[in-house]
Amino acid sequence: MLQIIKLAWRDLNRNRRRSFFSALALGMGLALLLLMAGVIESEIRSSMDTSIRLQSGHLQIRAVSYNENRASLAWEDLVEGPAGIAAQVGALPPVSAATPRLFASGIVASGDTSAAARIIGVDPASAANDPYRAGILSGQWLTADDRDGIVIGKPMADKLGLKAGDKPNVLVNTANGDVDTQAFVIRGIYSTRTPGFDNGTVFMSLAKAQAITRAGDHASAIFVLLKDRDQTGAVVAALQTRQYTVLTWDRMNALLSDTEELANSYMILLYLIILAITATVIVNTLVMAVFERTREIGILSALGMRSGRIMAMFFAESAMLALGGILIGLIIGGAMVAYFGSVGYYIGDFGVTGMLFSERIYATLTLKDAVNLSLAALVVTLVASLYPASLAARLEPVEALRGGWQA
Amino acid sequence: MTLYLKLAWRNIWRHRRRTFIILISISMVMGLMMLYDGLIAGFEQAIYGNAIKVLGGNVQIHAAGYEAQAKQLPLLPLPDDTAILKAARARPEVLAASRRINTGGMATSREGAFAVGIVGLEPEVEGAVNTVAQRVTAGRFLSAADRDTAFIGKGLADAMSLAVGDRFTLVGRAAHEQMRQRTMTVGGIYDIGLADLEKRTIYVSLAEAQDLYGLGGSATEIAITLQRIGQEPALMAALRPIAAGFELSSWETSLPEMRAAIRSKGAAMDIFGVIMMIVAGIGIFNLLMMAVYERTREIGVLGALGLKPGQISLLFLLEGAMLGVVGLAVGIAFGLLINTLLGQVGIDYSKFASMTEYTALISGKIYSTLGVENLLQRGIVVLIVAIIAAVYPAREAARNEPAKSLHFV
Repeated sequence: MLQIIKLAWRDLNRNRRRSFFSALALGMGLALLLLMAGVIESEIRSSMDTSIRLQSGHLQIRAVSYNENRASLAWEDLVEGPAGIAAQVGALPPVSAATPRLFASGIVASGDTSAAARIIGVDPASAANDPYRAGILSGQWLTADDRDGIVIGKPMADKLGLKAGDKPNVLVNTANGDVDTQAFVIRGIYSTRTPGFDNGTVFMSLAKAQAITRAGDHASAIFVLLKDRDQTGAVVAALQTRQYTVLTWDRMNALLSDTEELANSYMILLYLIILAITATVIVNTLVMAVFERTREIGILSALGMRSGRIMAMFFAESAMLALGGILIGLIIGGAMVAYFGSVGYYIGDFGVTGMLFSERIYATLTLKDAVNLSLAALVVTLVASLYPASLAARLEPVEALRGGWQA
Repeated sequence: MTLYLKLAWRNIWRHRRRTFIILISISMVMGLMMLYDGLIAGFEQAIYGNAIKVLGGNVQIHAAGYEAQAKQLPLLPLPDDTAILKAARARPEVLAASRRINTGGMATSREGAFAVGIVGLEPEVEGAVNTVAQRVTAGRFLSAADRDTAFIGKGLADAMSLAVGDRFTLVGRAAHEQMRQRTMTVGGIYDIGLADLEKRTIYVSLAEAQDLYGLGGSATEIAITLQRIGQEPALMAALRPIAAGFELSSWETSLPEMRAAIRSKGAAMDIFGVIMMIVAGIGIFNLLMMAVYERTREIGVLGALGLKPGQISLLFLLEGAMLGVVGLAVGIAFGLLINTLLGQVGIDYSKFASMTEYTALISGKIYSTLGVENLLQRGIVVLIVAIIAAVYPAREAARNEPAKSLHFV
């Protein structure tokens, strides 16, 4: 065994150029696979993170009868005394922030243009609002006792031609089905760099939102952020009550998980294409090498090397090539992923709301992907080398010595 | 020159086995790259195609002057549109061209008021092609004779607590800027799986909208749906000569975010494609180099017979080029075959993902295009690689003393 490995190593070294290019082709193929996996993984993960941070939170506590599509404001669909519940939840060790929020629908009108708005009443002081607060482009974030201020997103400000300090009319749907219109002052304009969210979301203070929608001391949901996503299950178990339901981030973002599933299933096909190209290149190179070395094989078999060992020798060469290629691939692929991981590239808005993608995509690579893809590359190369190796083993010594395969 | 061509051609077929291996490599690699290109374009269509249909069609025709105030959705009536409509419908890639009135308004019920886009369309034209018409969950799609009837999304119906047969008030802006109010009955409800999007648009029949907005018999927009994304420029170029008094635009203008998304997705896929080319290039290069190094002795013979290094290089250049061209031809045929097949049958991903239950916008079934998008560029690269890989080792061998090359092992 050791002898075969030694032989194979010497053979590879004897023709360095060929060995290098073969390994390089395999390495580039693997690097490409790693990059693709990194980009897809990161795209999905970052959009899930964005969605959790901006829209759903890790958990939401809602009334059992609350219907998200309706954004109902009837008191029986809301959480009563939300500040107290939020304080209780916030005291749990795994929770980083818990804050009441009230969701209402409305219209922001300025001059003769208007835009549909999803109004969120927030407790301005809560740490859960950090992403919006940090995204303020002009003006400032809401203050706790703000009774006539709103903060709107940049796309809406552009569409309606509004700037901080302007006073558009805001029309809000209320708990008893009326519509209340009132002029609000734009305190600030924010951008979370997520157009699908910024487009329609308008913030006002929870107290004002409760007053204008006649929701009393109620909230649509308690928005909960955890320190660690993996603790979701434990916190849900601790929060179970009959009165309220607790929704988890994976359920609230089911569309996103499904997209991930679809993306993964179609990426497999692309992986296969790339593996097929790499395999084609490697098989043909190895076959060519076998033919080139007919005479050498003839000598080996004339000296009494059994065909099984010849086959094993070629197989060992391929395995070494594969390992070398995988090493090159991991280095190049790692470098590419690291590059895209730090620079990222702009993707803009997907134009479909309900799925929030951040404007930039970064690449991240999971160990699982790296290991799986490297194994795939190894297996493909080894399977690909079976044919050339058996070709070599089948040569007749005399014929091979004469170079009998040279047609 | 003819002599060299003849020699090169004969050389290729003398080394049948080698040639065969190289041709398999080149054609497989080329075919696989076409498969990749075709699939990527197919994904694009599956992911964005329906969204573009629902969000207003691939190409829009408006009256001149519309673009400048497009954000306000002005009610500018189209001039006589019979000719341009007929021309558009005559094109094979056009699935439907329909007259619309496109504006904004407010829907109110006892649950509150909601800002909505109002689209007046010709039900008999769009019934067969419009995605929303095929996703009716209650009631029915519009018909031309409908009066005071609206077709609304499930998201809006939920938010407004409306069911089929219920009434609500629609407030819109008439051509002369005063508000028009009308009580409408819900005729049908569609469900495309995205509540936010469903809240945005309600549909009424064109005649109804003309009546509501005082537009007589005219429309404000012709919305054209195409077979696939990417056919817009050709159609717009074809219509431009008869489009005096009209403005042509495509979804790329009306949905800039989506254009940016597709562009940058495309850029990522292009990077992958280029790296794939590098893999293929290295492989082909290595293979051809091996094949030529193997023939060092033959080159020595040619040198001994008096061929100059330049002449030998030319011979191998021609061989490389011929191998490249033949390989590419076979590869392209192979790629076209697979892609035509996948374009007809389609690959059904919905079996692997539960996606389609959620949204009508993203299709789980993918139909490849022919994959000819990057054909020229890929073909040229493969050809250049083949030529370099053939000439480089040949030049090296030809420069040596013939005797040295003759003794090469």
